Amino acid sequence: MSAAAPAPPRGSAPRRAAGGGRVLPFPVTGQELVLVGVVAVLWVVLGLATPAFLSSGSIVPLLVATAPIALIGIGVTVVIISGGIDVSVGSIVLVCAAVAATAMTASGLPLVPVLLLSVAVGGLLGLVNGVLVAYGRVHAIIITFGTLNIFRFVGLQVFGGSTIDGIPPVLAVFGRGEAGRTLGVPHSFLLVAVVAALAWVALRHTAGGRHYYAIGGDAQAARLAGIAVRPRVLLAYVLTGLLTGLAACFVIAQGTSTLAPNVGLGLELSAIAAVVIGGTSITGGRGSVLGTVLGALLVQTVASGIIQLGWPSQLSSLFIGVFIIVAVGVDLLRQRRRRSA
Amino acid sequence: MSTSTQHGESGARAPGRPEGRGPSRGGGLARVGSTVLRAVLTQRVLLLVVLLVLVLGFFLNLSARNYLAAPFDGRYLGLALINLPPLVMLALAELLVITSGRGGIDLSVGAIVSLTGMVFGLAHGQWGWPLVPAVLLAAAFGALCGAVNGGLVAYLGFPPLITTLATYYAFSSLAIVITSQQPISTAPIQDLYVLARAVPVVGDVALPLSLLVFLLPTVVVVWLLLARTAWGRRVYAIGTNDVAAEWSGIDVRRTRFLAFTAAGLISGLVAVVTTAQFASARPDAGTAGNGLALPAITIAVLGGVAITGGIGRVSGVVLAALLVVWLNAGILLAVAGNTGTQLQLLALGAVLVAAALLNGLAVRRYGAVT
Repeated sequence: MSAAAPAPPRGSAPRRAAGGGRVLPFPVTGQELVLVGVVAVLWVVLGLATPAFLSSGSIVPLLVATAPIALIGIGVTVVIISGGIDVSVGSIVLVCAAVAATAMTASGLPLVPVLLLSVAVGGLLGLVNGVLVAYGRVHAIIITFGTLNIFRFVGLQVFGGSTIDGIPPVLAVFGRGEAGRTLGVPHSFLLVAVVAALAWVALRHTAGGRHYYAIGGDAQAARLAGIAVRPRVLLAYVLTGLLTGLAACFVIAQGTSTLAPNVGLGLELSAIAAVVIGGTSITGGRGSVLGTVLGALLVQTVASGIIQLGWPSQLSSLFIGVFIIVAVGVDLLRQRRRRSA
Repeated sequence: MSTSTQHGESGARAPGRPEGRGPSRGGGLARVGSTVLRAVLTQRVLLLVVLLVLVLGFFLNLSARNYLAAPFDGRYLGLALINLPPLVMLALAELLVITSGRGGIDLSVGAIVSLTGMVFGLAHGQWGWPLVPAVLLAAAFGALCGAVNGGLVAYLGFPPLITTLATYYAFSSLAIVITSQQPISTAPIQDLYVLARAVPVVGDVALPLSLLVFLLPTVVVVWLLLARTAWGRRVYAIGTNDVAAEWSGIDVRRTRFLAFTAAGLISGLVAVVTTAQFASARPDAGTAGNGLALPAITIAVLGGVAITGGIGRVSGVVLAALLVVWLNAGILLAVAGNTGTQLQLLALGAVLVAAALLNGLAVRRYGAVT
């Protein structure tokens, strides 16, 4: 609906900036506009079907639940734009959550050190991925499938075989409750918005950001053009690890005072789904973090809407699957038209 | 845990290292040594055989010195193979799909197992279909699921990773919704457990029946298909370079479509195997935990299937699965409790990364690798 309304100007693709003659794509992609429309339509329809949906008691938990997937998705977007993939993020969440929860329960660590600890652990695991992918000359999916298992082992070892109980509400600032919002806006989502804005600017307007598109388009050509491909790629995985470490804190904050060892399981697929629904090309070289956040919002809207409608909650996976197919199909059609035009 | 690694180091050196391979024995032996090294690094099957010998030797050595909870003998090795059929069959499905190239991969095999398992459970357990038609139905339904993937990927040009991620979601959701989360374990389904029972083969070594009835035929058929039919050669051709294949008159789309369909068919048969093993058709049979797809892809890659397509052998996949299954079985005996099952994850991940890195090294040093 709103996809048609703002009507992007004809021939919107390349716009020349005044000074350096740089060519930049239009700030908002078609896919993002479509997503805004789809989410808006869904919210209206769900609001009409179940009046409780559009109340803040329903929207706030929705935004809070979107936050970790969106945050991880931002990192994965950068990785996928650079032509790689990271399927180990679910296990990184497990390790970070286990370490953070243990630190809070066992040694009573306060908020800021917990956040730093979790982010640092995430960054370290991301560094492992990054070094192996960038310098090992092995396809990213193989490396991250391997580290998925290795990190899972590490996380389960930290867990020590059972759940972690009695986690103090240190992280409540990122939770669902009253402590988790200012003026009704959840802090976790606010943080996601800030990170997304920073990532958007960095990817679009800094040389380093443009390098990721170049690497994803053609790594060989990027190298010959003087881009330090390996450090760049390494950085993408470290970034994903750092963001995943932060997301792990969100996950703890959303849960109860008990953390089960299945935390983070399958999160990598949700994150990749959000990225792809957001219009990022899985083959690299094209994509945006705004789309990813919208994709995560769409996925979570569907999940929460289905629960509110009283349908079996597992049905949401079916819709996510259909959305992925539709998103990719629309993208393929658009590419085909661009090529023939 | 720390003690077991110590044993690991002392034990690993003992077996499988024949004396007199050192460089001190003169030029001839050095040349032989470098030839052997080259062969082991460039031939994945050889590397796997060496690893398999090392793993078996290591655990047999521990077993002989009474470090293990139970003897690591032929009988135990045979019984451990109960885990082999789903792993090898799904890895063969991945072999077909990955080898067909263009980023080919199938994340949905586990979900196909879940969904087909429920369909099979309904047919055999509730509608009262006899076994053989029900198994045929499972195969056909699995092939249908695979054909959905294949149609999207081959004919509509969807990227395989995303397509199968989407169908993974769709199939696993349908599998759970179809009976509203209820597993089917009526009498006919429970009777299937006989497939998971071991039948004596040689001496006191017994093999699970499903290995003989499902796995062996699948291995033979996939090998025949890939190595002895024109379609198999076409799969390698399109996986190596699908533009060149197109120009040489190969129907690239049809070949790739059939690869995905065959992968679905195999997954459908795996559904029967897992249903028999659990004595119950479970809606999460192929998707619980990490699911069945990730281990299958891991085994395939470990077995030397190139993720970029065009390279991959049935023998490598079978050996890789044997390596992982027996390594896991040994770890369970060596390390008690939860740590044992968790160490299996570490072993799987470490072996995969190490093999992949070694592969990269071999490519740089020797050029092509098979």
